Amino acid sequence: MQFLSSRSLVALALGVLLATSAFAAATVGQTAPDFTVTDMDGKTHKLSDFQGKYVVLEWLNYGCPFVGKHYNSGNMQALQKEWTSKGVVWLSVISSREGQQGYSTPEKAKTDYKAKNSAATTVILDSKGTLGKAYGAATTPHMYVIGPNGNLLYNGGIDDKATTEVADVKTSKNYVSAALTEAMAGKPVTMAKSQPYGCNVKY
Amino acid sequence: MVGVTSPFRSVASPITGDWVLGLGSARLARWNGTKAAMRTAKNMRFFLTILLLVALASAGMAQVPGTAAPAAKDSSPHSEATLGAEFSTVVPGEEVTLALRIKLEPEWHCYWLNPGDAGMAASIRWQLPESITVGELQYPAPHYIPTPPLASYGYEDEVLLLMDARVAAGLKPGTKLELKGRADWLVCKEVCLPAREEIALTLTVGEEIEENLAWAPAIAKTRAALPTPATEIEGMRVRAARTEDGYVLAIETPEAAALARQDVRFFPQDQQVLTHAAPQERRAGPGLLTLSLVESEFANQPAERLRGVLTLPESSSWKQGAQVHAVTFEAPVEALGSIALQAATPAGDGLSSTLLVVLVSAFIGGMILNLMPCVFPVLSLKIMSFVQQAGDDRAKIRNHGFVFTFGVLASFWALAGLLLLLRAGGSQLGWGFQLQSPAFVAFVALLIFGLGLNLAGVFEVGMSLTRLGSAGGAAQGYGGSFFSGVLATAVATPCTAPFMGSALGYAIAQPATTSMLVFTALGAGMATPYMVLSLYPRMLSFLPRPGAWMETLKQVLSFPLFATAIWLLWVFGLQTGIDGAAGLLLAMLLLAIAGWIVGKWNVYAISGRTRLVTRATAILALAVGLGFAWNASQQAAPTVTGGGSGKSASAWQTYSDAKLEGLLASQHTVFVDFTAAWCLTCQVNKRTVLHRDAAMNAFAEKGVELLVADWTNKDPEIAAKIESLGRSGVPVYALYKRGARQPVLLPEILTEGILLEALADLPAKPVAPETLSQR
Repeated sequence: MQFLSSRSLVALALGVLLATSAFAAATVGQTAPDFTVTDMDGKTHKLSDFQGKYVVLEWLNYGCPFVGKHYNSGNMQALQKEWTSKGVVWLSVISSREGQQGYSTPEKAKTDYKAKNSAATTVILDSKGTLGKAYGAATTPHMYVIGPNGNLLYNGGIDDKATTEVADVKTSKNYVSAALTEAMAGKPVTMAKSQPYGCNVKY
Repeated sequence: MVGVTSPFRSVASPITGDWVLGLGSARLARWNGTKAAMRTAKNMRFFLTILLLVALASAGMAQVPGTAAPAAKDSSPHSEATLGAEFSTVVPGEEVTLALRIKLEPEWHCYWLNPGDAGMAASIRWQLPESITVGELQYPAPHYIPTPPLASYGYEDEVLLLMDARVAAGLKPGTKLELKGRADWLVCKEVCLPAREEIALTLTVGEEIEENLAWAPAIAKTRAALPTPATEIEGMRVRAARTEDGYVLAIETPEAAALARQDVRFFPQDQQVLTHAAPQERRAGPGLLTLSLVESEFANQPAERLRGVLTLPESSSWKQGAQVHAVTFEAPVEALGSIALQAATPAGDGLSSTLLVVLVSAFIGGMILNLMPCVFPVLSLKIMSFVQQAGDDRAKIRNHGFVFTFGVLASFWALAGLLLLLRAGGSQLGWGFQLQSPAFVAFVALLIFGLGLNLAGVFEVGMSLTRLGSAGGAAQGYGGSFFSGVLATAVATPCTAPFMGSALGYAIAQPATTSMLVFTALGAGMATPYMVLSLYPRMLSFLPRPGAWMETLKQVLSFPLFATAIWLLWVFGLQTGIDGAAGLLLAMLLLAIAGWIVGKWNVYAISGRTRLVTRATAILALAVGLGFAWNASQQAAPTVTGGGSGKSASAWQTYSDAKLEGLLASQHTVFVDFTAAWCLTCQVNKRTVLHRDAAMNAFAEKGVELLVADWTNKDPEIAAKIESLGRSGVPVYALYKRGARQPVLLPEILTEGILLEALADLPAKPVAPETLSQR
């Protein structure tokens, strides 16, 4: 009776350790991991700079059909407009690595931003995946809502319809809007976690 | 919320509630949308070309039923979907299986019902005639597609998603059923692209079904490979429990030993339950595999049930003799404690926590040893001595308990040390080795019989005989307690071979320290009841006060001892035959006479000469008795090894690795009896089961080749084979079914029912291989 060798066990344990440390997820109800990132204009942002404001993180890849559903229907832009007008900082994050699908240079990001009529506060370029991995972003679109005190309020999918069908946008329940609405009314967020859907983030 | 499909044939419970993902929305209801979009002229031409080609291929058939119509090709990049059916002509009121075939370019994949961290399952929006209803999509077992740090569940190359359709009754023959729909799925490589295809299929209603040869074989193959419900596999059961960071699956399966090193993977059907990319830590033990699962960070509450698919590599199976790579199950999540005992069964995979489990098993096993027929009488003797000492100093009782425990432990250490020494010396040795000596059995039988006489009141030596160490008669020597511990262990060993085989099999293959630990746990378990009684003398107060009843109890306790003596005599008889048994009975008679003399002429009531004569006679009787016993133990058993008597002997061939390999290679079913002359259980099984007519007839009927591996002389080839089967001693009964490399191991204590049941599963005797074999 020979089972797993001790060497493979050590490797397994190491693997688990590495996987968990490198891909630490942000936890709802706890302080969201701080970050220092650069946007498409070369400007540096820190999470702590936005203290007192709600922050939405939106993982973005224009080439992903699930993202396409929300941009082609105008849903994402409408959300961005609605919430930024209420003082929310909306950061779209591109974590595709250089050479991977969806990778974006600052110039391309700016062109796309205009072409798509994006109303996000700005687009963060995270080609090293530092921000994505710190938050455990799995898919595009994967959405996070951070409260004014820096606590994570929402982590998950954008809505409840994991399809690429534009028609589904109208009938779906948007979790980001729901979280922001509840939080701003001083209520606890009912749906604070959901399975994010979409395409893999191309780390 | 759209209707959600179930991937399995028999798990048809629709998912209710607010699932985040709208997976696999194959709808039962007909599509209420507008007519399908007109195809472009170009696509129409393409369609006609295909029709023409298929028509030609089907040799003049007037119509081309059951053929898919590829359309709007551009809508499905890097993949293609077609719709087909197993029959081209269907019968009213009957079922027909449809299939959506998705073909993918290399490196592209599409998704299972639960796509994992990203992706989307396929779905069909139907536009169906009234006269046909189409069931849910049935998904084959998915593949694990790692994209670190994430993971997806899906398919590469090609997949067939099956649907059961029912044709309405009362349709006229010749009616054409036009099935139309739109398939939607997602293909991903690095990029994900939505894919969509208009699908269509025409079925003709007829009086008899007509197979569609282009589809039927592929559909049949896919159907056969669909996950089987675990409940349909004999002996298989999957349980789930909550752990600190997720869940544990306890998979009870007779195949656990064979699958211990296989890559078992669980695919959860539901989202927001597990972290899809987390490793599923696997442990294995006899009859049990466990998988540790990490909870999803998106889980809003613990799951009430786990359901999904358990897969194995293509080369292995959940069911002996069948190709079952995937099973489905649904298990309520229980409290961890409720399956802890189950989880305590595995014999380890080298993890220290598993070692702990083994030690706990050994400890429990040790306690159970107290109930074995060869130990129980000693237990009663020991309880007797507790009763007797209850009036004594408590500290003294405790000390006796400690010494007794030490005696048990020392014996186990001695046994382990001996075993290790012999193992180190290269000697191939199994447990139960003491039984190889009939003299040992005779000695124990006489000892037990003598103790029985003593208890029955034939003679009195105080309780000194029960504490064999104090042969001089000292009533409370610590040596006596120590030695009764040793005695308890010594008489226990014949029982341990069949009952502790697994734990010892584990221990013997482990490093010396592990073996010693296991033996220590066994000993500790065995001594615990005594220890507890001596540590908490208050419990002794539950025992009745000493009195006249003790004499009665003492006499009653002689009966289990006599029963044990009979059992040992039977063992001895099996080893030495009827003459040997008679010799031992004679020895017992002489022992009884010696005892009677000692009892009749009480040592305190007689004077010098009588004393001398009676004691001399008693000693002579004892000596002659021992002589008979010794002589009897030298008798050769009539059926030593290898074969038995008469017709059954000829059917059994002598085992060798080469012979087994040869028989297996030539597609024979083979039964191997690993046995030894000194193995009691083996002999019993041989006489009561294996060499009986019922078994021999069943073997002959199924064309089973019979091999006997005789381990009496510690053949190293056989020892290696036994070890490779995960056992350390005989008996081992291995049934190699035709074409199977891994045998089914039958229980060590065999009954006719067990054997015949195992054989009943086999197909009848094959004609060709039998006539071709060179026997």
